[in-house]
Amino acid sequence: MSLARAIETGDLAQLPSRRDEDWRWTDLRGLLRVLPPPSPPHVGWAAPGPFAGLAGREVKIVNGRGPGGITVPAGERHTVALRFIAAPDAGAHAARLAIEIEDGAELVLLESYEGVGEGYVAQVDLRIRLGAGARLERIVMTRDSPDSVSVSKTEATLGPAAALAQTVLAAGARRQRTETRVSHPGAGGASVRLDGLYVLDGKRHADITTVVTHDGVDGATDQLTKGVARDQARGVFQGRIVVSPGADRTDARMGHHALLLSDRAEVDAKPELEIYADDVVCAHGNTVGALDEEGLFYAKQRGIPDAEARAMLTEAFLGEVVDRIGHEGAREVARTWVAKQLGAAS
Amino acid sequence: MAAVTQTIEHVAELERYKHGFVSDIAQDFAPKGLSEATVRFISAKKGEPAWMLDWRLEAYRRWLALEEPAWARVHFPRIDYQDSYYYAAPSEKAGPKSLDEVDPELLAVYAKLGIPLKEQAVLAGVEGAPKYAVDAVFDSVSVVTTFKAELAKAGVIFCSMSEAIRDHGDLVRQYLGSVVPVSDNYFACLNSAVFSDGSFVYIPPGVRCPMELSTYFRINAAQSGQFERTLIIADQGSYVSYLEGCTAPMRDENQLHAAVVELVVLEDAEIKYSTVQNWYPGDAEGRGGIYNFVTKRADCRGDRAKVSWTQVETGSAITWKYPSCILRGAGSSGEFYSIAITNNRQQADTGTKMIHLGPNTRSRIISKGISAGHSSNTYRGLVSAHPKARGARNFTQCDSLLIGKQCAAHTTPYIEARNASAKFEHEATTTRLSDDQLFYAMQRGLSQEEAVQLLVNGFVKDVLQKLPMEFAVEAQKLVAISLEGSVG
Repeated sequence: MSLARAIETGDLAQLPSRRDEDWRWTDLRGLLRVLPPPSPPHVGWAAPGPFAGLAGREVKIVNGRGPGGITVPAGERHTVALRFIAAPDAGAHAARLAIEIEDGAELVLLESYEGVGEGYVAQVDLRIRLGAGARLERIVMTRDSPDSVSVSKTEATLGPAAALAQTVLAAGARRQRTETRVSHPGAGGASVRLDGLYVLDGKRHADITTVVTHDGVDGATDQLTKGVARDQARGVFQGRIVVSPGADRTDARMGHHALLLSDRAEVDAKPELEIYADDVVCAHGNTVGALDEEGLFYAKQRGIPDAEARAMLTEAFLGEVVDRIGHEGAREVARTWVAKQLGAAS
Repeated sequence: MAAVTQTIEHVAELERYKHGFVSDIAQDFAPKGLSEATVRFISAKKGEPAWMLDWRLEAYRRWLALEEPAWARVHFPRIDYQDSYYYAAPSEKAGPKSLDEVDPELLAVYAKLGIPLKEQAVLAGVEGAPKYAVDAVFDSVSVVTTFKAELAKAGVIFCSMSEAIRDHGDLVRQYLGSVVPVSDNYFACLNSAVFSDGSFVYIPPGVRCPMELSTYFRINAAQSGQFERTLIIADQGSYVSYLEGCTAPMRDENQLHAAVVELVVLEDAEIKYSTVQNWYPGDAEGRGGIYNFVTKRADCRGDRAKVSWTQVETGSAITWKYPSCILRGAGSSGEFYSIAITNNRQQADTGTKMIHLGPNTRSRIISKGISAGHSSNTYRGLVSAHPKARGARNFTQCDSLLIGKQCAAHTTPYIEARNASAKFEHEATTTRLSDDQLFYAMQRGLSQEEAVQLLVNGFVKDVLQKLPMEFAVEAQKLVAISLEGSVG
């Protein structure tokens, strides 16, 4: 049951609904009464993406069509811009891509979802395999159209001592979901960082879902997601950390913090721990609220106007996640993105 | 140190489950199985008015259309609802008029359980101990309710549900099913059709109930289920503290206990509801034990109403229970303090729901889960704020402690915030007993078992402090007993 299957078969009964526990806050069956026609092939898309100039190579998937995989050979270091584009004529499409990072290789993946068309329905399935000692830093930026439905689902498998660092920057859509499932071997100091940011306005919806399964000893996972919801927007965070039997000395931390800036906005969160081993340190924290009044008061009594003080505090709140991005160029793009999103929303 | 030593001695004296005896008491049963006839039988047996029978039959019809829920993180073979007795009652000749007429066998059971059914009985060895009124429910019926006369002087109604339906029909009709609707969920619906007894409490406006009220539930008959229904109404400005305890014999079969508890709290009223749940948990291999599938909910209808749920869950093979608060009145508040302990093959999926509907409503959740042996312990909770719940505030702390390699602890909180002035904070941790702390306690001369108990008692202290004093003592001992044999 998935959006991709519904697109491929045309069968709306394949859509996940609120009755599916993992989709309770991102109901697609209740939303989509009809699917748009299949997206036609689209050639010659030339506009630059959000990470233009930062990558050595660009891979474009337009209307669900493009290369089927990216491979980074053992020991090599690559920076790739991976662009999923819904062209102006996009309808419904699903794409699959396999990313192979061989032993000891390094990849900086600058991934973008660029919606130009209107009312499209799209799903991307990514399969990422990291070899022994391989490293991946993945920065995902979504720029979907406000009336689109866009789902991105990633399954990542880590080899021994591999490292995955990810930051999702979500601007939402009519329904948007970025789902990441990580199989974490623990062994040999493999590490995972899964971060997320969402800045939503209008009637946009963004869902950041993660599942990290620790299968071996000594694994570490660090997660931080922050978000801002205004107007009638809705932010969803679902994070699950599973520690399998025997995965001792796992150290897993998860945080989700959201600012609700309007009485009609909504934030839903489900930070889950599922633990089958005893020698573990796992914790999660979750907060939802408005801007800190004391912080605002302090800024204002230092002579900063109300609107500016609010923008400053909000930017600082989100900045913590941006600062954790390792790739310098991408970090600056993310910082600009946050400022622009907040500006657009105010 | 004396307290610890005393606890250890106390534990050593006890069997693993001291309430596991069966009492040979003449009993009446409903025919085995569940059908419309069973529902009619129960209703007739209790001499209920027609409206009550109709209510039950409606519930039964709705139940037939419902599906058994499967979302909880618990696993058990399918329940055969036809292979159980839905009504079992001690035979009585002509309704005892006073305690002296109650079957002495039955009184012996309660004496053995340490439940004071004699009104003068007070806690042994404590000068001026507070009095307790007790409603004793044996299988499907309430056998005796104490202190009724004294309570009546204050205007408090405390009686069995059957009596309430008979004598206070209007109150029951007004409130029954108003907090937990008939078809709220599968087990609540089943309960609505076949509930047999339970307690009814009404506290009139402005009255502070002069003593603690308590109900003691006992399952005795084999192959029977217990379906009790409790309804407590705290009228404007009143206060009541209510305690609930329960035990069952040791058997190889699983028995179903599907209760519904409804609390109605009006303006400025307060209900404090405490549970020490000690149903038979099954043996070390997971044979037998009670399935405890319970729906408990409080509705804060008036402004500044307050509800406090405190639970110590140590028994039952499977627990499936979420005492909840609907915070409707402005400034109303809900609290949930829970200790859930699972050992051997026990499974617990428990937590709470705090539903903020009114402005300036507040809630607090403190949950301590301990899993040992091969058990599984899940905290599942919902905190939600409606757009109108301006200024809603929640603080949630849920900690899990793991003892042993084969057990599991899960945390599944749901947070739904729908207005900008709501402030929700949630934190959760999962750890095992700290080696450093154990080492420290042991190098001060404690045995490993003593050290573990000391640390566990420290871990659950925040919740134990919320229990009424007598319960706290019993609960502390229960914690020790439940974890016995889990170390080493």
